[in-house]
Amino acid sequence: MGLKLRINGQAHEVEADPATPLLWVLRDHLGMTGTKFGCGAAQCGACTVHVDGVATRSCLLPAQAVQGMEITTIEGLSPDGRHPLQTAWVELNVPQCGYCQAGMIMAAAALLKAKPKPTDADISAGVDNLCRCGTYPRIRAAIHRAAGQAKPA
Amino acid sequence: MSADRRQFLIGAVATAAGGMALGFLPESAAAADGAAPELTPWLIIEPDDTVILRLPAPEFGNGAMTQQAAAIVEELACDWSKVRPEFASATRDYTAFSVYSVVPQAAAFFGGRSTFLMRVMGLQKVGATARQRLVTAAAAEWGVPVVEVTAANSVLTHAPSGRTLRYGEVAAKAAALGPVAVPAIKPPSAWTQLGKTAPGKLNNPQIVDGSLTYGMDVRVPGMVYAALLQSPVHGGRLKRYDAAKVKAMPGVLAVVTVDPDEARGVAMMSNAPYGYALTAPRAAVAVIAEHFWQAKTAMEALPVEWEDGHGARWASTQQLYDAAVAALDHDQDARVERAAGDVADIHKAAKVVEQTYLTPWCDQAPLEPLNGTALVTADKVEVWHPAQNSQQAFWVASDESGMPPERVVFHQTYVGGAFGRRLESDDVRMVVAIAKRFPGRPVHVIWTREEMMRQGKYRPMVAAKLTAALDEKTGLPSAVVARQAARGHYPRFADTAYFMGPIPNVRVDARELANVHVTPGPYRGPGYNSYGFIQETFIDECAHAAGADPLDYRLRLLATWPNAGWAKALKEAATQAGWGKKLPKGVGQGLAICGWGLNGTAKAGTCVAVVATVEVTPKGALTVRQLDAAFDCGRVMNHDAVANLMEGGLIFGLNMALNEEMTVKDGRMVEGNFDTYPVLRMAQAPKINVHFGGLSGADRYAEMGEPPVAPVGPAVGNAIFRATGKRLRRTPFLKQDLSWA
Ligand code: FES
Ligand code: FES
Repeated sequence: MGLKLRINGQAHEVEADPATPLLWVLRDHLGMTGTKFGCGAAQCGACTVHVDGVATRSCLLPAQAVQGMEITTIEGLSPDGRHPLQTAWVELNVPQCGYCQAGMIMAAAALLKAKPKPTDADISAGVDNLCRCGTYPRIRAAIHRAAGQAKPA
Repeated sequence: MSADRRQFLIGAVATAAGGMALGFLPESAAAADGAAPELTPWLIIEPDDTVILRLPAPEFGNGAMTQQAAAIVEELACDWSKVRPEFASATRDYTAFSVYSVVPQAAAFFGGRSTFLMRVMGLQKVGATARQRLVTAAAAEWGVPVVEVTAANSVLTHAPSGRTLRYGEVAAKAAALGPVAVPAIKPPSAWTQLGKTAPGKLNNPQIVDGSLTYGMDVRVPGMVYAALLQSPVHGGRLKRYDAAKVKAMPGVLAVVTVDPDEARGVAMMSNAPYGYALTAPRAAVAVIAEHFWQAKTAMEALPVEWEDGHGARWASTQQLYDAAVAALDHDQDARVERAAGDVADIHKAAKVVEQTYLTPWCDQAPLEPLNGTALVTADKVEVWHPAQNSQQAFWVASDESGMPPERVVFHQTYVGGAFGRRLESDDVRMVVAIAKRFPGRPVHVIWTREEMMRQGKYRPMVAAKLTAALDEKTGLPSAVVARQAARGHYPRFADTAYFMGPIPNVRVDARELANVHVTPGPYRGPGYNSYGFIQETFIDECAHAAGADPLDYRLRLLATWPNAGWAKALKEAATQAGWGKKLPKGVGQGLAICGWGLNGTAKAGTCVAVVATVEVTPKGALTVRQLDAAFDCGRVMNHDAVANLMEGGLIFGLNMALNEEMTVKDGRMVEGNFDTYPVLRMAQAPKINVHFGGLSGADRYAEMGEPPVAPVGPAVGNAIFRATGKRLRRTPFLKQDLSWA
């Protein structure tokens, strides 16, 4: 069948049922495991990627639907792992188990593209992924820092 | 000295004769390449100064790995940026005579705790031993006395001659040395980094670029995937299934079953820290396929019938709750957990407070669904697993495969949250049980979120009835009877400060609900997470009945409690939150304090005091505006890690109180995903202030993972009472009517 996908600037051809969700094509077929499986029901956001720049949950998204679109995963967010969000995440020691954080960063990256100086309300609305470890206060602070804003009081 | 000599010798022998001779995979790429030899079984220093540390406690979010490394580096005196952590091998620990678990706290050694002083000192010794080998090798190289060589920041210096060598330059020679005398380790007062610096997690860079390998991310050549379905009523059995219906579906390789009743095990004594009884397998059927999506799709298409078993008699959750509450009035099977003084006349007191409370089943719901990978062959089983306790998982893999432990190669992965769910290793048993039906290829078994949530090992449902006689003069409880009913009891109710002296006449008892089929398990702060709510709501009710301020009431009650940290934490949280200020109707502050890890003594563990500020609209919409928390764990070893665990633990405890309830219909668990089992998001996370002013400085570095979880719920519930006059005696709050106008 041959799915034609463009991921992180590279063309891929994948032998998979075209109905396979993008998440599993990335993880199982292409070995790109940075995008996580958390719920499989578009509930948690662990599987967030960018599709044509828009933060999108990939676990229910048939891969055939995104053929021809530009897909970016956590592996392709920056060439060296030093996107301002990634740097801020490390500086503020955001993660606990870390399992949600790739999805959080992808959601936040899309937010910052749309709103380079987000308010607290923007962040609450734009990053509504789930973190079971409860790292929300640090995620919020790290987004502000990456946006070049002082940590709000 | 003799013990250290033995430790080194065993380690050396193990590498030469134990691990390699048995054909185990080496622990690290460096060892595989032969780039650098082991300095000790715990560490390798490469020519470029990279320090590879093998650390026994897994990392599932609490920072244990980083903290272990910090304890070693305190003595090793290497450059922190050169540290590359790995997980120590449970297999090698077994075959090499406890080469890692020789460090104290051995029973829990492959578990999560990292700041217990005995353990820290054991790790310091690991660092000191390695440093001494480097110093000795450098001294030999220069032909100078060992005492003239100093070590700092990965550099060895001979001050008299001004010569220096990097660690990486002498590591190979140091590794070839015979046993060295181990120097004394620094006491806490001489630490230069522990307690003074707060390094961030070592694995943060790999988390943020997506390269960290969780159990879910294991990729082994030839690997296939499995999806599974277990008896929807816990304790049921597989009746029939029709594999022919799915055999021809794309990618499907096999349909296999797991039979709880088949004989299993290895005829030898086990060292599994939690035993095997808690890991009993469930009846299951699994589809194995080339890809997970294929396995899952075929699993959903597979016709399966179940023998439900006795659990199916429970038509609704309410029936179970009613049965639990009814059991509270029967004393014949109750076991007494704590008794002091005399409570016989409790109902004759002038003022009696008596109330019934209930906390529901809750799912730990770590974000990484249960999963694991196993390769079973004729003479070996190899497992890659996100375990909460590697030792437990290692032994369970042996038991399920029937392979003696020296033939179990166990690889610990990173863990996407645990909260108790991955402690007992029933997950590893299921993975191996499926993989052994498909020998010769590595099988990666993945639970869907629904399968995991409905096949949980839940925080037990607990019903409790508390009765207090209030002293006529002080209003404080002079006697309390606390009754509990649960299946899967974790005895923490007796282990709370009020019942350990401050209230003179006490009887705490517990009943086991034998007819309940829902499987219980540890959930962050087992027992404590229920009883904290029950006890701190009850004490608040007593304070109200006595017409007392809740803060003042608790301080008076704790006046004779020998651990002064409790009062200090209470006052700190209250002061910081502005306790006592006038608030409009619909806004309220509530208070609670709970302590974890007392284990029967006052001066132990960690207490956390929380003041919650909430707002409830007349129609009953609740907003938790702010949580102020103060705590006493004695001393703090990593300030920022403690703050992070407090913040996360408070949010975790808040969610437990607001949202979490697993319900039952016809014996089956109902909730299956985050749409019906909600978890707080960014928008609902309150402002959180963690205050360090409650610390007593007492001589311990007690745990921080569990303690914040319990006091949040009662603090919020007590705040709702003060805002609305409505008393909440069960959780979750958001399923209850909070309207007040
Ligand atoms: S895995 Fe896609 S939203 Fe949870
Ligand atoms: S850090 Fe564990 S789920 Fe977010």
